[in-house]
Amino acid sequence: MAIANESHQEEKNMHEHHGAGRYWLIWGVLLVLTVVTVVTGRMHLPSFGLLLALVIATVKGTLVALYFMHLSEHRGANRIVFGVSIVFVVLMLAIPMADLGTRFRGANPPGSQYSDLQPPDIGTGAQRGRFGGGLRPHQTKDTPETPEPGHH
Amino acid sequence: MQSSAHTADGTANVPRLAEHFASLEVQNHAARLGMWLFLATEILLFAGLFVCYGCYRFLFPEAWAAGSRSLDLTMGTVNTIVLITSSLTAALAVHYAKEGKNKMVGVMFALTLVMALGFLVIKYFEYAHKFHIGTLPGRYYFYEGMQMPGITLYFTVYFCSTALHALHVVIGMTVLAVAMVRAFKKKDFGPNNYTMVELGSMYWHLVDLVWIFLFPMLYLV
Amino acid sequence: MTPSSSLDTAGAAPHDEHHDHHPSYLVDGTTIKSWLLTVDHKRIGVMFLFFILLFFLVGGIFALLLRVELLTPGPTIMDAMTYNRTFTLHGLVMIFLFMIPAIPAVFGNFMLPLMLGAKDVAFPRLNLASFYIYLTGAVFMLWGMLNGGLDTGWTFYTPYSTHTTTTVAPVMFGAFIIGFSSIATGINFIVTCHTMRAPGITWFKMPLFVWAIYATSCIQVLATPVIGLLTVLVAVENLFSFGMFDPARGGDPVLFQHLFWFYSHPAVYIMVLPAFGVMSEVVSTYSRKNIFGYRAVAYSSLGIAFVGFFAWGHHMFVSGQSTFDAGVFGVLTMLVGVFTAIKVFNWVGTVYKGAVEFSTPFAYFCGFLFFTVFGGMTGIALGTVSLDVPWHDTYFVVAHFHFIMVGATIMAFLASLHYWFPKMFGKTYHEGWGLVSAALIILGFNATFIPQFLVGNNGMPRRYYDYPERFQALNVASTAGASLLAFGFLIIAFYLTYALVFGEASGKNPWRSKGYEWVSESPPPTHNFVGPQVTFPEEPHFYVDPKKAEVPDAV
Repeated sequence: MAIANESHQEEKNMHEHHGAGRYWLIWGVLLVLTVVTVVTGRMHLPSFGLLLALVIATVKGTLVALYFMHLSEHRGANRIVFGVSIVFVVLMLAIPMADLGTRFRGANPPGSQYSDLQPPDIGTGAQRGRFGGGLRPHQTKDTPETPEPGHH
Repeated sequence: MQSSAHTADGTANVPRLAEHFASLEVQNHAARLGMWLFLATEILLFAGLFVCYGCYRFLFPEAWAAGSRSLDLTMGTVNTIVLITSSLTAALAVHYAKEGKNKMVGVMFALTLVMALGFLVIKYFEYAHKFHIGTLPGRYYFYEGMQMPGITLYFTVYFCSTALHALHVVIGMTVLAVAMVRAFKKKDFGPNNYTMVELGSMYWHLVDLVWIFLFPMLYLV
Repeated sequence: MTPSSSLDTAGAAPHDEHHDHHPSYLVDGTTIKSWLLTVDHKRIGVMFLFFILLFFLVGGIFALLLRVELLTPGPTIMDAMTYNRTFTLHGLVMIFLFMIPAIPAVFGNFMLPLMLGAKDVAFPRLNLASFYIYLTGAVFMLWGMLNGGLDTGWTFYTPYSTHTTTTVAPVMFGAFIIGFSSIATGINFIVTCHTMRAPGITWFKMPLFVWAIYATSCIQVLATPVIGLLTVLVAVENLFSFGMFDPARGGDPVLFQHLFWFYSHPAVYIMVLPAFGVMSEVVSTYSRKNIFGYRAVAYSSLGIAFVGFFAWGHHMFVSGQSTFDAGVFGVLTMLVGVFTAIKVFNWVGTVYKGAVEFSTPFAYFCGFLFFTVFGGMTGIALGTVSLDVPWHDTYFVVAHFHFIMVGATIMAFLASLHYWFPKMFGKTYHEGWGLVSAALIILGFNATFIPQFLVGNNGMPRRYYDYPERFQALNVASTAGASLLAFGFLIIAFYLTYALVFGEASGKNPWRSKGYEWVSESPPPTHNFVGPQVTFPEEPHFYVDPKKAEVPDAV
């Protein structure tokens, strides 16, 4: 019975069968990359630390997707679905962050690096605590990071 | 995922073709594409938290640095290795399912489950420590060692994302447990009938994939 | 009503003689269980139809209560708090329980397999699950509404939604569950389009309704998870104060709005794209012409789905979002207008020199075309930052999105209800009453929302139960229009119910449409097609040119 061509192609792609060796190889690479990211992360590299960590994570993620999840053997829709979802993740990340970076400073959350305002004092009692913490009654406001409320 | 018509006869392991599909190829293709779409929704689900992470890290870099240093890197690293290894065994399960070695499929899934459990146990100890010292989200935060703007947000993001991830670990374990029982009991996986193993394992890889990103984001930077 | 013309299809011929052996899906199993546990896409579609109409009624009653309250300044029938709850519930019911699933879950479910020559959707059990998930979510939502209600507006903006004492958590949880239903439907339809097409139906032979549903499903799959996460965060926030969006703890409420509109702006296209798809079918059928510019219409569906994701910030021009982002979003918003205009021109091009049969669905098409253009153009105006700032949160915005939501989506819902009524139930309704109610609804709609444009432009803000004396005339006009609208809906309810019970049998293809869905019987048997594989016509809606043919299809 005739069917949509996509399914034939899909079936053909999926019938490739490899030895188990490649999984072990990928696993080894993933472990090495984990060690690399931990070691470089420990160094607390100043500016490109985050970038490096994310690049390593992306490489690891790509390996998992391509070989463990067999995306390398897929064609067509399956790949597009995965690719498109990543595109939208990036979009969703980029626009709010661009917003925070370019916003009128007064509209950013007080106390953040893009704001000139002091963080607000959010009261006493159960909600006591300068930065939103503190169910403990002995929590005080005289920790060094805590300026006097209402001044700047 | 359709149940099999023949069970445990070793040779004719062909899944039942649902009435509305033209052929088995189409049925498998549909299941796989459906799974990819579902995984895309999972990625977008976690992406929401990644956006919160990214924005607040951008706003409060110092709190983020302090927060990530306060986490236990050793436990995090061990957990990463455990999860990556469990992903390997899940991938191997698919490999053996294609060859019809049902016993190995079951064993591999059992190993995966053991490691998943190990992951959760380690996570439990990490959580317990945080509950003890008070690095908790929002108004529950009472740790005096770190007081700076945005520090409670770090732990809000930490707890929300790790809890959501842990929930996915539990769901993944359920799926894999079902596949494992079937591999041991019905023994009907084979070259033409491994869709269930494949899809379950794909879900597990996604759980791994999310952790691969969460780990450096939370523990390292 | 004449039976289908012989040009219709060769493949349909063989099963005429076996017709008696294959009862229609409506009578194939009459027990309650056979309905509740069915995996037949058609029965699931009909069950969805029932509940969606029910929730449309609920949302409509809320709308009428709002209009009655706004009849006079000051308290008319309710106090301010009740009013806040009422407009919130109106929004929530209409959006989550009616508009989002309306066309995809009912008509998409019913027509997609028929249009693709498939026996069912790809995952029938998932389809049934999606129905019950929808009901479960609806129960949570209604429970929350009855036990305290919600007064945040349907947008549940933080920080108010995390502090209000009304029942945020159950309603959010309900919305979260309904999200799963939406995702399940979306996945199902995408996979169906990819794998279930009959031989010969290539991508560019799919009916345009299928294209629209496909694009809608893509949005559902990509956007819904984000709102799912967000509803959970808000519920958690409301119950436990984690401070994720709490400015007192460094959180950013504007970030909440970014995430919220990342779903909720594309959700507008979840509501309106299927409407565009329906109209592409209707306009072909009743103009007796193939659609003008098929590929352009198909691509523009995908185009709207895509650029719809890049426009969300235009809801946030006055929220504290950066002017840079606002400018970017303002420009990207215009792109939606480009793709919508492609569709509008192609519809007009289809009607041009067609042999138009002015039936009820076509009347709705005319209303739809006007409302879409009018609503779309005001949308372009609102997408302009400098214009949006004074109009923001006034009745101008309310009128604008009702022109799209009601003017486009509900017109299309009614058009499809009439156009596919014979397909779904095999009965005909009274054409005269259909036209009368269409006229009432289109008039009533204009009378309701055009005054709202005016009153909004004069500065009346939305979401207030009170207003100054000088706005009263326009508000009375709007309430009068809403009553007319409600009367129109009542007439439809009566004659369609009558037709369902006492209507004449419609025959296989009462409209002599060449759409693919009419290849099967009306109503179709359980597995849609019996006998050998059906061959479909060259392309959907391939009509003989009325001007050239010696014996035209058109009359």
